[in-house]
Amino acid sequence: MPDAHADQDWRAWFAEHGARLRLIARQWTRSEADADDVVQEAFVRFWKHQRHLPGDPNALVVTSIRRAALDLLRRTDRRGVREQAVAAETETVAWFEPEADPRLQALAQSLPLLPAEQREVVVLKVWGALTFEQIGEQLQLSPNTAASRWRYAMEALRKLITARAHD
Amino acid sequence: MTDPDHDLESALAGLRPRPPGPAVTAALARELDPPVSRRGVILAWTAGLTTAAAALAAGLFLARPAADEAPAYQLVRAEQSPANIEVLRPVRLDDGSFARPVRVRWDNTTQWEDPRTRTRFINYRPNEQTTLLPLETY
Repeated sequence: MPDAHADQDWRAWFAEHGARLRLIARQWTRSEADADDVVQEAFVRFWKHQRHLPGDPNALVVTSIRRAALDLLRRTDRRGVREQAVAAETETVAWFEPEADPRLQALAQSLPLLPAEQREVVVLKVWGALTFEQIGEQLQLSPNTAASRWRYAMEALRKLITARAHD
Repeated sequence: MTDPDHDLESALAGLRPRPPGPAVTAALARELDPPVSRRGVILAWTAGLTTAAAALAAGLFLARPAADEAPAYQLVRAEQSPANIEVLRPVRLDDGSFARPVRVRWDNTTQWEDPRTRTRFINYRPNEQTTLLPLETY
């Protein structure tokens, strides 16, 4: 099969996109260390088996991350961990670099407080650069459900930011 | 999507997620590197082995089989340390005159970096010169 991205410098590609990929992985993992492991495993899988495929590699890498994350959850909990439970166990480690702008800081602190099902849609749309249709495919939802979760998430974020502003 | 949502999305996009840890970057570099790659090579050259080490290093890099695997080292730093001067006790030479030995020590360090793999090639070369300063006696 001809390599559709023969000229692509994949180290440079990862250097550019690694941070957002890690944030995506963090949505489906229990810890920062697990997110690092998942990103590494997923990118290596993609690089070995799918980098030759035509089209934008972004969606393929995101799919690879989700699979690696779910594999890790299955490996680490044989009883079958539900993704809902992941959110309850999340660490309080900051997901973002510190921001001087108080509004951005409030957003960064509010995002982890969203319900997991809304948060993953937000992360996949903003940092995964996926459409609602692609998000639906990733999460096995209809595009309408993904869009609906997005709207709920925006509303919840606005409330959280407003609440922080009044603290 | 409403305009407030769009503003919020733009603000979210302005957040900067934390990058993966250095261990991830290092592990990926190992995975993505071709097996013949020799990374992280640091040669410390001593004064007596300078010539041999230079030949060895040249051999290592010239022996790379494929052009796209070869590192592209670029000069990033060249330093010369301040000289350490020792003035030793005078000695009497064969012709009966006196001279004072002076020993000067310094070292040169040159570093090249391959920006692709972030590996550095370091040439550390200590130097020593001893000279005799004639002393006139009356």
